[in-house]
Amino acid sequence: MTVSNRLRTALSFSGPFVIFAALWQAASAWLAPDPTMFPGLGAIAYALVRLSASPELWSNLGISLARNYLGLALAIVAGVSLGSCMARYPIANGFFSPLVGATYSLPKTALIPLLLLWLGVGSTTDTTAVFLSCLLPIVVHSYHGAKDTPRVLLWSAAALGTPDRALLPRVMLPSSLPQIVTGTRIALGFSYVVTIAAEMIASKSGIGKLIFVYGGSGAYDYLFATILVIIVVAYLVDQAYVRLTATLLRWHHWE
Amino acid sequence: MTPPKILISSLSKRYGATSREVLALEAVDLSVSEGEFVTIVGPSGCGKSTLLYILGGFLKGTGTVAIDGRAVDRPGLDRGIVFQEYALFPWLTVKDNIGYGLQTQNIARSEREDIVHRYIELIGLRGFEQRFPRELSGGMKQRVALARTLACEPEILLLDEPFGALDAQTREIMQDELLRLWRKTRKTVLMVTHDVTEAVYLSTRVCVMSQRPGRIVREFSIDLDRSASREEIVLSAAFERARNEVWILVRAQVVSGTGVATAT
Repeated sequence: MTVSNRLRTALSFSGPFVIFAALWQAASAWLAPDPTMFPGLGAIAYALVRLSASPELWSNLGISLARNYLGLALAIVAGVSLGSCMARYPIANGFFSPLVGATYSLPKTALIPLLLLWLGVGSTTDTTAVFLSCLLPIVVHSYHGAKDTPRVLLWSAAALGTPDRALLPRVMLPSSLPQIVTGTRIALGFSYVVTIAAEMIASKSGIGKLIFVYGGSGAYDYLFATILVIIVVAYLVDQAYVRLTATLLRWHHWE
Repeated sequence: MTPPKILISSLSKRYGATSREVLALEAVDLSVSEGEFVTIVGPSGCGKSTLLYILGGFLKGTGTVAIDGRAVDRPGLDRGIVFQEYALFPWLTVKDNIGYGLQTQNIARSEREDIVHRYIELIGLRGFEQRFPRELSGGMKQRVALARTLACEPEILLLDEPFGALDAQTREIMQDELLRLWRKTRKTVLMVTHDVTEAVYLSTRVCVMSQRPGRIVREFSIDLDRSASREEIVLSAAFERARNEVWILVRAQVVSGTGVATAT
């Protein structure tokens, strides 16, 4: 890539952000009746600097991410097991398919008050909420990935001596990995929404709690700074995930 | 009397629900002796691949299908199959694809490596051991698929339009490699194709199948000197005659199916 090309890429990537920031700043300066309700970029940047120097942000971020990725990891294990078993065994599909279909479009955040009642305030409720909302996209992608295994692959494996019970782990599961990776990426995007929503309602710690407290006390510059932090973390993790899975699944022809 | 290597008798196959079922094969009889290279040609959709899948143990029909006198009820390592779409495991390297069947048989790692190495040499893919299927050309993929099947040393090779997805030049090269391999090992081969020239060039016997429901209309014994070069075989009068005979009969099947002949 030449220097001018690289410059063009950088500009076309940062352009929308620059325009958005300018509009934000203009709205803050001219439209908002009270500048504390709609803080300008300077106030947010100052809050960001103050926040990043305090342990409050980092310890709460650590707790939130731990809950977030634990819930996601459990959803991957359970979702892939369930989805691939549904694809392989008609009896499993017959039982779970109506349940998955009926609960797929239910907003899982609506369950948080109920989880709060059952599991109490704290990490268990938050992690469970993340687990439940990440589960279904992974089940569905894993199911379709395994179901779409070309029959000639299954036949070849059988002709090469693969016993019936080994077809799932040795053929259907690897064949469905690209779809599992896609489903997990969708779940990854969901997970932050649910973590923060759950922490606002059912937690004494975490980024969601922090946002809730800042919002309640009118510290909107700190509120936006915290949101900015979670956006950046989510973006970086997503990029790392895409790169990692592209390397691990380099055998796959990504569209 | 020893039973034939492959015996198919009054084999029928229906697809779909009872109300709107399709008869794919109707009362097919075929017997193949050990070491024969038999090809089934016929119009597309005539059920010739279905016949191969039943023999492979992947589908079930009604009637008799037996290998060495034993009824076929499931896939087995005695029958190796190669598909038109290669069917390589995309997540395994060339080396691991070829070694797959050896691994399922729990053959020791060192022995496995030796066998895989030998087949990599045989198909001329040295240096490609660590490549994934998507990094290979069609011809290379089909070589790997053939090697993967041969590595398990099946007694019977089932070939389902194996060169159908290749360009004309690569197809000829692959045909010659297959012919050389067959002459060396004398395995029993049952191939399915719609390419009449390919069928006559490779086989000791060609069976022509009708439109669906598929039946075997006629069998042709092909007596050619396979030790000769491709040019000598293809330009010989015997090849020409056999090819024309088969072609006219296959064409008659295709035309009867489309209704062109009955329109006049």
